[in-house]
Amino acid sequence: MEEEQSFSDIYGGRLALQHRYYSRSCREFCLSCPRLSLRSLTAVTCTVWLAAYGLFTLCENSMILSAAIFITLLGLLGYLHFVKIDQETLLIIDSLGIQMTSSYASGKESTTFIEMGKVKDVIINEAIYMQKVIYYLCILLKDPVEPNEISQVVPLFQSAKPRLDCLIEVYRSCQEILAHQKDTSTSP
Amino acid sequence: MAYRGGDGPGQPLSATFPRVSPGGLSTFRTRTHNICMVSDFFYPNMGGVESHIYQLSQCLIERGHKVIIITHAYGTRKGVRYLTNGLKVYYLPLKVMYNQSTATTLFHSLPLLRYIFVRERVTIIHSHSSFSAMAHDALFHAKTMGLQTVFTDHSLFGFADVSSVLTNKLLTVSLCDTNHIICVSYTSKENTVLRAALNPEIVSVIPNAVDPTDFTPDPFRRHDSVITIVVVSRLVYRKGTDLLSGIIPELCQKYPNLNFLIGGEGPKRIILEEVRERYQLHDRKIRVRLLGALEHKDVRNVLVQGHIFLNTSLTEAFCMAIVEAASCGLQVVSTKVGGIPEVLPENLIILCEPSVKSLCEGLERAIFRLKSGALPAPENIHNVVKTFYTWRNVAERTEKVYDRVSLEAVLPMEKRLDRLISHCGPITGYIFALLAVLNFLFLIFLKWMTPDSVIDVAIDGTGPRGAWTHHQYSHNKRGGDNNEISKTR
Repeated sequence: MEEEQSFSDIYGGRLALQHRYYSRSCREFCLSCPRLSLRSLTAVTCTVWLAAYGLFTLCENSMILSAAIFITLLGLLGYLHFVKIDQETLLIIDSLGIQMTSSYASGKESTTFIEMGKVKDVIINEAIYMQKVIYYLCILLKDPVEPNEISQVVPLFQSAKPRLDCLIEVYRSCQEILAHQKDTSTSP
Repeated sequence: MAYRGGDGPGQPLSATFPRVSPGGLSTFRTRTHNICMVSDFFYPNMGGVESHIYQLSQCLIERGHKVIIITHAYGTRKGVRYLTNGLKVYYLPLKVMYNQSTATTLFHSLPLLRYIFVRERVTIIHSHSSFSAMAHDALFHAKTMGLQTVFTDHSLFGFADVSSVLTNKLLTVSLCDTNHIICVSYTSKENTVLRAALNPEIVSVIPNAVDPTDFTPDPFRRHDSVITIVVVSRLVYRKGTDLLSGIIPELCQKYPNLNFLIGGEGPKRIILEEVRERYQLHDRKIRVRLLGALEHKDVRNVLVQGHIFLNTSLTEAFCMAIVEAASCGLQVVSTKVGGIPEVLPENLIILCEPSVKSLCEGLERAIFRLKSGALPAPENIHNVVKTFYTWRNVAERTEKVYDRVSLEAVLPMEKRLDRLISHCGPITGYIFALLAVLNFLFLIFLKWMTPDSVIDVAIDGTGPRGAWTHHQYSHNKRGGDNNEISKTR
């Protein structure tokens, strides 16, 4: 079963959330941002080149122009490969664990997996971020020594930064699976 | 003007859902407010303003209002925290400049404060303490955003020296368009009205309160073979430590079984130690004991060891110490300065002029009364005093101020500029009018960058009907740096 909903991020941009219900114990959430738009790409390129031409007319050194070309190309490559995340996926399987995948615009993917034994809970939290106070979803990890303590907080959907309504949607589904997992683990 | 103006979602949500406060206190209210307390001073910092904000907020929550507190980050304590009854505290990462007060540029805190005001749907900004730069910033921004403002002044100021002239000027600017001002005593009101050139009608007097359960008498802790005089204050000039150093030798020579117990720390401690050395008051048995700095929880244990409480302050807006002492069943001898004569009825306090001679006479009178046994039992004094100043009463009176303020109109921009120019003198007036305009333009820019509709409304966790108390998922307790939002529905 697959379902797609549209939400917005904290800046007002559009986000698409895809749920995939594989079974009662396995769900996938996929948040995708819009791809790099031609408009912003053109705007950035034009600004860099105009600045370069401005400098060129001042000091008349053609090195500046070639440097500008290199800067735009390298900047674009770096941005697509290391910064721009197109899609963030959260796969949660109750007997196994939680897997988080972020796919960069260049196609690079980075994946983290947390096994269920380490997960204490999934919660929505509040933080002060860049002159804003935002809600975010995070996973609490158990302390290996003291199971009631929390050793680490892992934030989810770090680049998409969806708004609260979207977080609640994901939070509910996660809680259902966590509750299901607790039921099965306590009464085998 | 701000988001309350247009068709934005700025209207207070709780205004349409009256909430009932719990238990026997329940009064069905048709109006509740979303109040935001702003001050640089809050826990973990300790002091009178801090406990005032906390206790007032708790009582207002009990009465069904929504209250949040904004302060600056203290060390690693930053971000959002929750206290008892879902009282939400924002510790904002702003730079501390001097004496726990933040640096101000009048603009840099606007984005964050505006975001919080919008997401919490705040209707009334209540700032505390004239020493707090953040409180003044918040007032300035709130007026730009068109929110109602209330200010509580906790201290008295002089008029003569350079620093007070400057502070008074700033206070004039800050308060000239504030909706309502609260002072802690009539003397403080007079002082504030004069300093800030205010209309006295918009200044209310609501005294501080003490928690009477913290200050109970315990007559068995004191030794009745000797008479003990307790002094608990910071040992600074303003608290009259110099007077104390004159009183100690005089009385110790006259009465052989008189002891002094002095709690507090400060630069003037050295004087007291000198007096003790010179008159050899520490040999054989210790007659003057200096306890050093006391924590608030230890104050009661020191107070109950004495018979007479001595306060030698030279200036005081509202003296909490004498109420605490009287609540512990002690006889109070105090200087007649500032708001002190208003605090306790005449039969519970002996008032003196701020001079060594007068204070000695007052103390002798107290000693005579003690020896003649004409005093009521400490328990009786406690029972009388505990009815005088309660936080519930303070909250009730503050609520009336909020009710009144919420009906008033916030000055629109052009009137505000007029007020600034006409009230604050030609130069300061124009400078601050310009700053107000710049602030307004900055606000428009911010609203264009992040419109109100993009800001999530915060979940209301305050009070007995808050989001925390009824939930279907298991409530997860956690320490650490962050707080959890356990969703309901």
